[in-house]
Amino acid sequence: MSEPSTFEAVREEIAYAYDNTVFFRKHMEASGLLPADIREPADFLRLPPTSKPHYRRNFPAGVLAKGYTLNSPHVMRFQSSGTSGERLNSAILSYDLARRQASALGVNRRFDELWRPGSRPRICRFAPPNCSDVECATGFSTMEDRILADGTLVLTVAHDLLATPEWQIVKALDEIELYEPDLLVVDPTHFAFLTRWARRLKRTITSPRRLHMVCGYTLMTRVARRQIEEFMGPDLPVGDMIGMSELGYLGFECHHGNRHVNDRDFHMEFIRDGLPVAYGETGELYVTTVDDGLVPRIRYATGDHFTPLEGRCPCGSDLPLVRIEGRATHMIRLTDGRTVTPGAVDALVGEAPGIDLYKLEQDRTGACTFRYIPNAAADRSQSSALEHRLTEALAPNPVRFEAVDYIAGERSGKFQPVVSQISAEGA
Amino acid sequence: MIVRNSYREDFPALRREIDGQRISYLDSAATTLKPDAVIRAITEYYETNGANIHRGKHRLSEEASDAYEASRVLIASHIGAAANEVVLTRNTSEALNLVAQGLELEPDAYIVGCMDAHHSQMLPWRRAGRLALTRVDADGRLDRDHFRELLRERPKVVALTHCSNVTGTVHPVAELIAEIRSATDAVIVLDAAQSLPHQRLNVHELDVDFVAFSMHKMLGPTGVGVLFGRSRLLSALRPLTVGGGMVDWVDLDGSVDRRTPYKFEAGTPAIASVIGSGAAIRYLEALDPAALHQHERDVARALVGGALTRPGVRLIGPPNLTDRIGLVSLRLEQGVPTGDVARMLSDSYGYMVRSGHMCSQPLVTGLAGGEILRVSAYLYNEVAEVEGFYEALDELLACIGPAAVVGARR
Repeated sequence: MSEPSTFEAVREEIAYAYDNTVFFRKHMEASGLLPADIREPADFLRLPPTSKPHYRRNFPAGVLAKGYTLNSPHVMRFQSSGTSGERLNSAILSYDLARRQASALGVNRRFDELWRPGSRPRICRFAPPNCSDVECATGFSTMEDRILADGTLVLTVAHDLLATPEWQIVKALDEIELYEPDLLVVDPTHFAFLTRWARRLKRTITSPRRLHMVCGYTLMTRVARRQIEEFMGPDLPVGDMIGMSELGYLGFECHHGNRHVNDRDFHMEFIRDGLPVAYGETGELYVTTVDDGLVPRIRYATGDHFTPLEGRCPCGSDLPLVRIEGRATHMIRLTDGRTVTPGAVDALVGEAPGIDLYKLEQDRTGACTFRYIPNAAADRSQSSALEHRLTEALAPNPVRFEAVDYIAGERSGKFQPVVSQISAEGA
Repeated sequence: MIVRNSYREDFPALRREIDGQRISYLDSAATTLKPDAVIRAITEYYETNGANIHRGKHRLSEEASDAYEASRVLIASHIGAAANEVVLTRNTSEALNLVAQGLELEPDAYIVGCMDAHHSQMLPWRRAGRLALTRVDADGRLDRDHFRELLRERPKVVALTHCSNVTGTVHPVAELIAEIRSATDAVIVLDAAQSLPHQRLNVHELDVDFVAFSMHKMLGPTGVGVLFGRSRLLSALRPLTVGGGMVDWVDLDGSVDRRTPYKFEAGTPAIASVIGSGAAIRYLEALDPAALHQHERDVARALVGGALTRPGVRLIGPPNLTDRIGLVSLRLEQGVPTGDVARMLSDSYGYMVRSGHMCSQPLVTGLAGGEILRVSAYLYNEVAEVEGFYEALDELLACIGPAAVVGARR
């Protein structure tokens, strides 16, 4: 996936990071390398990857480029609980964020009208509370308290999604109505939950403006998507975002439903065992920023796995195609050596019209439990078929199925559909 | 060269590294770390016994009961009390609520408290009666004239705070109690949660009616609070909770409470934690008090001195070492996000400090105007750590920088 066209930009980024950040200079020196040693793409692989702990420990003094402070113009500071408890403090330049967003959203024609010259979309966010920079989970905040500097209104939600009290749900629905957004930026599992409540309360989720929806934060399950699309109707443009708090938009879903990665603003590698994978094989995404003046990242191991796909998409975009597989810490490890990714699990579950929410959890012994919340459309033959598919896919490991009426979220506020204690502890 | 103090090695949590970096724990006012001796006492109970206490006749139950009651004796002795004057609760908050509710005051009962009280010594009294708070000065010292003025209205209860968890100020409680006794017959309730870990007190010499504190702030496990009560007053309190373990007899017409302190200890208590609390008392009492005092002074000097010599940082509390513990609260310059700073101090430098309103929101709002950063040390901390903390804070504040435009290369 290393494109020679971006290699020069990568070399510049390496030189910039070396000259301007304490951490990266030390990182290169520890490997006995200088920027001049990276002459061709193959040399790039000699650079050891960087990771979240590096940036966590060295933020801000070691990773912020010379000349910047956290209060410099256009610097947006944020904190993240991180997926799987990997905390992170970081900062990003607002125009880099916008540039990456524009490149990514450019693959989806249904989002074209969202950014018109001279106008800024009104955004409402409904996502895990720890992913927001406001105290949105307390009952004391007003709408004004929860409007970020860029105008985004953060809606309230409890850390434990399904334990969100009714008053908080009503507040979120009321505020969407009052704020009249153009764009809903949501965690799809969270928003599916909101639609279930809206249906129960006989409420609608609309805006006098043309609404769009960007889904991110956690894997967009087909179960969540089905509920969102059923409730919101076919006119709502919905796009699945590939992103990270510290980097912004790494990719987006095109209007044909395929995922593209943003290789304009990033140099992207998909790596397994230290080497790039071939098309159709799964690898971890390593990201190198291009022209990031604030916190340049070189070979940043994201922990997210993708399968790069060959060929051109009918949408017309030349951004590369990928399939999302999920985080390394969420992979189901089978005793026969196989790995089943969260993406593969979701494909097996499918739209599952009889299910509102599911979670597959692997314990330390390797055994799996598939918990799901059935709904009124639940049907015995469908659930038997699903049990059969999952049992077969996860064999030889045992799988238990439980229909429940509650599934706890993570302490971070996120709700991950697939988790593995084996993978998490081996990380 | 960094001189390591001899206590550190007893605290296994301090051996931990995060992201390849040693941690420095400076949040002991919230809770202290636990020494090996305490951890061993807890695990030993679970490994060799695990039985419930008091109501069993079998050997394990008797052994567990003995160990549990031995801890009560140790805790009582540590404050100069008799064992039956010590109620074991879940925490200081529960102990203070037990008194506030148990006194069964009239709804408009007049109560005098202190502006620098923890919410645990404020809200129970606000619920129990009509609470008036004694003002503090800009340094957090009590306004003694105001205190005397409030006493003139003859309160039913005076709720004192021995040491503020925000300013670190240790109030002259012996003098205050003498003033109360000469002015009124009010019940005197002392919150010693922040003071007792740093200096012993004798409840009878102090002539106080009730004292509450938590073992987890003095090397013990979480889940154990202590309420000392003068026998006569304690036995007159109404139990906060009723149920198993606090009665001698139950029939269809009624029940007979057990004697104090048991009538206040309904349900199965935190047996292992109480046993661990005994180990904490033994650990503390084995230390050389003079050396400990000197160590605390040295650390407090570094804490206060560091705060006074830095631009961009305002010390909340007295600017000297008189009557204070090793704790400082810092107000950062306008626009510097305190919570973010605490998070970066932790994740980037390994310094664990607390941010927010410290469960003393009226005081923090009054003295600081907003959230603060609190740095609280204990016997396992070193002067070098405090110096390192300030160096990290300096670097961080420089990186956060002024709001003005800074020339950037790209």
